[in-house]
Amino acid sequence: MHGIGAKDDLTGMALSVHGVSKTFVTRPVLRDIDLAVPMGQAVCLCGINGAGKSTLLRIVAGLLRPDSGAVVINGLDIRRQAEAAKQQLGVISHASMVYPELTVFENLTFAARLYGVADRAARIEELLAGTALTAFRHDRAGILSRGLLQRLAIARALLHKPVVLLADEPFTGLDADVSERLVAIFDQFIRGGGTILMTTHDTRMGLRCGHRVVILDKGVLILDMMKDQIDSERFAGDYLSYARSMS
Amino acid sequence: MRALWPGLRAIIIKDIVVELRARQVLPTMVVLGMLIVFILRMAAEPGSTTIGGAVMGVAALWIAFLFSGLLAQERSFAAEQQNGCMDGLLLAPLDAGTIYLAKLLANVIMLTIFEVIVVPIAVISFNLHIAGGWLRLVAVLLLGNLGISSIGTLFSAAVQLTRTRGSLLSIVVLVILMPMMIPATFALLVLFGAMPEEAQNLASVRGSGTLTFVGSFKAAIGYMLAFDAVFVVASWLLFGVVVEE
Repeated sequence: MHGIGAKDDLTGMALSVHGVSKTFVTRPVLRDIDLAVPMGQAVCLCGINGAGKSTLLRIVAGLLRPDSGAVVINGLDIRRQAEAAKQQLGVISHASMVYPELTVFENLTFAARLYGVADRAARIEELLAGTALTAFRHDRAGILSRGLLQRLAIARALLHKPVVLLADEPFTGLDADVSERLVAIFDQFIRGGGTILMTTHDTRMGLRCGHRVVILDKGVLILDMMKDQIDSERFAGDYLSYARSMS
Repeated sequence: MRALWPGLRAIIIKDIVVELRARQVLPTMVVLGMLIVFILRMAAEPGSTTIGGAVMGVAALWIAFLFSGLLAQERSFAAEQQNGCMDGLLLAPLDAGTIYLAKLLANVIMLTIFEVIVVPIAVISFNLHIAGGWLRLVAVLLLGNLGISSIGTLFSAAVQLTRTRGSLLSIVVLVILMPMMIPATFALLVLFGAMPEEAQNLASVRGSGTLTFVGSFKAAIGYMLAFDAVFVVASWLLFGVVVEE
């Protein structure tokens, strides 16, 4: 297990989760989770439904308060230095977090204002081009297809040039073309020095973008390995069998 | 902390643009408000220019503001729930209090637009004479507006996490708003020169107790001001706790 202790050196860690536990009513969802992700690494967080993946991501994003433990983003505690830490985070979730009544451009402008993005117009144009949304800039988000919405959600998440990108099931509901485009965007983000923590059921896609695989089961990290230690095809098959046996 | 103004302005402008495009809240508010005014006008004595008619007019105004305000406030957070937009706001590097203030101001603007439409209709319908002047009327309406919006904004965010939503919002908000609604009603009664005889008798025996606002416009305004100050600050401080899962 790649855990961090209180005395571990966190220098160079883009994201560290230390002793995080969470219980909903009487059901423990996360038990003493430790995870440290260095700069420029993409981690694929796997687990069956109810394993605690999304809860962990929400705690890392500062949307949910853990019962115990701490999350540090690029040296900033997500609870104690929330505003500064959130400036370092980009989040892609199940929901697009965009307003259907606003156009693609207006949604990005609104997000850019919230994050205080400098040179707003140029950055939005850059992201519209990067996500191939330029042709849809004047379309209202409410009429976009699932794939286009996901691209808009990605553009929104990357707008303020975050250091860490959290992605909750980013490939869900996407066709092969859009998934490929998403992998390319993630690759580019990593090459630019960014860090990704992503949950996915699609282990093949996850392994393509990830450097490291972590498996969460019943709130406990049961596996933490680098991708080069894994036979990707065999892992995907074994994981599928494991998931079926658990469900 | 980043400057408060850019985030505040962004959320207010976004809320207004979304409402202008969706046209979900304001038309419903106006229809509800006019219904309340017309139903109470019909219930009042026909052709009444007496104190009774004015009292009914004051009641119609506050009932319309309360329920239309609640409608707007509930919608303002319901709209944030779709597509996980509330998470989008909470993920931004903003203090939760800034989100509250922005939502509060957007709700105050919506209720002000509503008041601009409904007050003249109520004034004409109930033949109200503004003895105290328009400026005083505007002051009472603004303070009432701020009070209703401050509580409504906080609790509409809280009830979005519950299943009962709207009904719970009405129950909680109406109870908490009571201490403001009483002086607010008396302020309008004084303004419209419509203090009922019983209230005038009560006013004549008032001392320094809890009913000092009865018959005194200044005291009623003071109560409303104090209520608004306490609840705006308290809601601003509590908002972060309320919206956290």
